[in-house]
Amino acid sequence: MQFGIDTNVALQNVLATMEVERKKIAAAQTKGYIFLGVGVVLAILGFALGFPIPAVIGGLIPCIYGGVLLYQISDELSAYKTAYKNDVIGAALKFLDQSLTISPNQGIDSSEFVYTQLYSQGPDRYKTEDLVTGSAGQTRFYFAEVHAEYKTTTQTKNGTKTEWHDIFKGIIFAADFNKNFKGVTIVKPKDFGNAIGAWFSKNVFSFGSNDVVQLENPDFTKAFVTYGSDQVEARYLLTPAMMERILKLNAQSSYSITLSFIESRMYIAFPLDRNYFEAPIFKSLLNPDALNDDITTIKFMYDIVKELDLNTRIWGKN
Amino acid sequence: MIIALIIIGIIFLFGIFFYNSLIGKRNQVTNAFSAIDVMLKKRFDLIPNLVEVVKQYTNYEQETLTKIVELRAKATSGNISDAEKAQIDSQLSSSVKGLMVNVENYPDLKANTNFINLQTTWTESEEQIAAARRTYNSSVTDYNNAIMMFPGSFFAGMLNYQPIPVLETAAEERKNISAKDLFNS
Repeated sequence: MQFGIDTNVALQNVLATMEVERKKIAAAQTKGYIFLGVGVVLAILGFALGFPIPAVIGGLIPCIYGGVLLYQISDELSAYKTAYKNDVIGAALKFLDQSLTISPNQGIDSSEFVYTQLYSQGPDRYKTEDLVTGSAGQTRFYFAEVHAEYKTTTQTKNGTKTEWHDIFKGIIFAADFNKNFKGVTIVKPKDFGNAIGAWFSKNVFSFGSNDVVQLENPDFTKAFVTYGSDQVEARYLLTPAMMERILKLNAQSSYSITLSFIESRMYIAFPLDRNYFEAPIFKSLLNPDALNDDITTIKFMYDIVKELDLNTRIWGKN
Repeated sequence: MIIALIIIGIIFLFGIFFYNSLIGKRNQVTNAFSAIDVMLKKRFDLIPNLVEVVKQYTNYEQETLTKIVELRAKATSGNISDAEKAQIDSQLSSSVKGLMVNVENYPDLKANTNFINLQTTWTESEEQIAAARRTYNSSVTDYNNAIMMFPGSFFAGMLNYQPIPVLETAAEERKNISAKDLFNS
């Protein structure tokens, strides 16, 4: 395993103790799900063969038993999940840097999410967890998992229908930026909507306080649309070198990233598919793959400071 | 008849739109240049402090210091053109750069807090001026494109708008720094 986690006795002991707990939870959950499954099959069979009352009784009993089993283990499950984040992820973070800490129940507030201006749509439902804070060199940073959604309601024959759509799901990273600035600069991926919007605001009429900033790097303008409250300041932040670094960071990410520079901080949104830092239940803890994945993600975030050269403090900001 | 009127109306509206956007682009160029001007002024204001601090510690950089003071006086005298100002700035920039390199010979000066502050502010202003120049060039390109392409070219002829050259880096700034030259000087 990389990062020297497999050779660390303390962490391996924690993992071994938690593995016992995991097996217990996995066994209870398997049993619970099997009873639920059996109940459903019995019910379907009963109805199919034309015995509705035995079907309901025969299906209900295993289902209730399965449900009770799952309910009984739920407290232990949440304790196990929290312990994994605190004791395993928390300890593994220290391998990267002593300053790193994880707070499973904290995150980035929805008010801060709106404030970053990374996404113009305000969230109607918002979840955040797993706040990691720390510093790399002189640069303080934090990141957390965020899931922001908005809802649409449509009138149908059967009443109103509410649908939820993702605004963003992934990790939001924030770091103290190494230059002083006053305004707002936002870098968005160039999808169809953004490209049309940018053309419109550049050539016809500009809405809001942020104008399109036409940058010189053709690869950058192909990948991103930049908006800024101050044209000069946007270029002060997005130097030719910085644009190259952002492009490199974007190439390393699975989906196109969004950035904003606001109130002396830079925010980066990394859309991701899965939930990170979660304890495995049906996979062994002693198998290093799951943990490795999480640590790689954290290392990636930690390295952003280096990648974007945020530790170079020669521009009058310490 | 009505259709002809509508077509004329649309052409007229498009005409106004292109005419106005051309003037907007022209003004944007002026505006972008004034941003450079502000940054330059900020930088020129740093010079007296820089000279004072350096003076206290060195007796050997008199020539460079005098040259820097003279250049600043010329730049802030008020009756020079924009092009001259940019020219003076690039000379000033390379003189200060030379001074910063020579500071290596004066450990006391190098450790002076005032000097360190001035040095970071200077680096900051260099980057800000670079940003302002890039903004200017971007506005100029936008304007040049507009007046050279149809239908902008038609109005540009009417208004007697000429293409504006983009700012280029002064030859001395473009030269690669050679470590050998630095050590020989």
